[in-house]
Amino acid sequence: MDEAAGDLKQALPNLCNSVKIHVEVLQKSSSTAKKEDIRMSVLKLLNRHNIVFGDYKWTEFDDSFLNSNVQSVSIVDTELNLKDRQPIDLSKSSLSLHIFHLNEEGPSSENLEEENEDIIAANHWVLPAAEFHGLWESLIYDIEVKSHLLDYVATTLLFSDKNVDSNLISWNRVVLLHGPPGTGKTSLCKALAQKLTIRLSHRYRYGQLIEINSHSLFSKWFSESGKLVTKMFQKIQELIDDKDALVFVLIDEVESLTAARSAFKAGTEPSDAIRVVNAVLTQIDQIKRHPNVVILTTSNITEKIDMAFVDRADIKQYIGPPSTAAIFRIYLSCLEELMKCQIIYPRQQLLTLRELEMIGFIENNVSRLSLILKEISRRSEGLSGRVLRKLPFLAHALYIQSPSVTMTTFLQALSLAVDKQFEERKKLADCV
Amino acid sequence: MRPRRSGLAAACPSVSVVFPGAVNRESCCRFACELLKHVLHQRHQLPLPYEQLVYFCRRAAQGGDMIKKSSSVDLASKKCQQMLMDLEGVLQHLEVMFSLTLVPRVLILLGGNVMSPKELYELNLEGIYEGSAEESLKTASCVRKLFHSLFVADVFSELKALPVTDTVVMLQGHRDCGVDWFRPKLNYKVPTRGRKLTVNLSCDGGINLSASPPQPATSTWEDYVWFQAPVTLKGFHE
Repeated sequence: MDEAAGDLKQALPNLCNSVKIHVEVLQKSSSTAKKEDIRMSVLKLLNRHNIVFGDYKWTEFDDSFLNSNVQSVSIVDTELNLKDRQPIDLSKSSLSLHIFHLNEEGPSSENLEEENEDIIAANHWVLPAAEFHGLWESLIYDIEVKSHLLDYVATTLLFSDKNVDSNLISWNRVVLLHGPPGTGKTSLCKALAQKLTIRLSHRYRYGQLIEINSHSLFSKWFSESGKLVTKMFQKIQELIDDKDALVFVLIDEVESLTAARSAFKAGTEPSDAIRVVNAVLTQIDQIKRHPNVVILTTSNITEKIDMAFVDRADIKQYIGPPSTAAIFRIYLSCLEELMKCQIIYPRQQLLTLRELEMIGFIENNVSRLSLILKEISRRSEGLSGRVLRKLPFLAHALYIQSPSVTMTTFLQALSLAVDKQFEERKKLADCV
Repeated sequence: MRPRRSGLAAACPSVSVVFPGAVNRESCCRFACELLKHVLHQRHQLPLPYEQLVYFCRRAAQGGDMIKKSSSVDLASKKCQQMLMDLEGVLQHLEVMFSLTLVPRVLILLGGNVMSPKELYELNLEGIYEGSAEESLKTASCVRKLFHSLFVADVFSELKALPVTDTVVMLQGHRDCGVDWFRPKLNYKVPTRGRKLTVNLSCDGGINLSASPPQPATSTWEDYVWFQAPVTLKGFHE
């Protein structure tokens, strides 16, 4: 195989050489091996297989040391830097290896009011968490949202490292993702936190993700809400004080916090609510000075957010519904999973959109199913990522109900499910 | 991997116990187990001391079938049984761990998560001279001395009541000790936040010990890594 790849290398002259390739090495949870030993073995492995086409993942190794200590070695995010799928010569590109363990515990909860144990003000994860493993790969966007976000944080860290005077050039560690519901904003925040923890594992020992339940910051006692916010951020400050930790603060549906000020002007919001907004804004100003914190926020309705907050966010990324190409990739990953679980049987090779393009969308035995899928993807345009990921389930539940089906039958069912989805949507719209 | 005594000693309370002779590995294990049971009860995660709870639970299991219990009592007893089962597991595996490797430190973490617990109890065994069974002090007398010191220091009385929370046990052991129940946490660092109590155990250095060297050479300290018990002990009230 190596020889064939070598021939190919000569055939394709525009081999990208000096790209930075990230290799994520997931250490087994029972493994106590030293990082240096694993690094050496992985480098040896990569030396043997030095040409890859896009992302690749090894889970089985011929080396017994790797077999007993490493779960997987993955070459990741090549598509973020390279537009086209082209061969990558690992021996010529600069490799950065990230070796990590997953934390298997679920989230722990933070309570603010001591006497009231039931109200959970925040969920708290130690990263990298097993819960978020694979989340980043499952999120599919058209534009370079993911690479933008990664590059942004890289720049932030560079500026902090070089001690750029923040009075002269100001940069906040605040990210605002906005867009229609179901497009994966919250998931992207969590996945980004996980990704950065892994990428920056050489600088920070571990990551902490704190997801704030914004409604819990409003107290039932008048004038107490501002204090709750302060208390919450005090806890976060404690975490930030640990310089070995990279801290992510996730505020979901941030408009529920910051919409209050304009409502106050209209006289519909009590003055206590505005104190919350002001407290949140000043607290964000407080913690953003620290180099090891990133504040992630999401919103469905950007117009409603306080301008004072929007200004504070450096990256305001719109996340829209997926395009046909993205839908195709989402479906492809769903079908791949179903084939892996043998719900779709026998296994069929599906082509990617790019492979279809290369053969000029000509229908033949190999491309027939892929073309049907492409057609379904075209018709699914307008559906959100959340709905798309649900459709294979609905297709099975509504139209199949047998433990194992062929790909052709499944695609028919999927097509019906898409139609049904639009029908229901129309009915809902008619009712309103 | 060594504890940073200098920076923290002033800020956090500590109790030091010096044993007048060598101590064997089994005694060290008993210290860890007894401290765990004690902390769980003192910090309101167990409504009664462990031994009493085990006794009552056993008696309830034998004679409890006759009386029809209300659902709330039933739920409480389920929680109790779960806790006792988990705790028993941890205690057993502590024994296994101590038999496999030298354990320089044990941590009992209450609340929050392992990186930022609300309360942290550290048992430091680095100063222990390990002796063989014959030339070591009796386990029972050592445990008595440890608890006597704890009571005299009166470390639990002025603390605020802690709500029911999760407890995690961590300990240091040799990288290659071959334990499979505890999960290695290679990146772990003892947290500096939260309330911390350190219990330092050591042996009187004046005694002449021909027995095994007390500690591994400093160069091999990095081979001692943190392990975490894979179960969290969920506290309960009656």
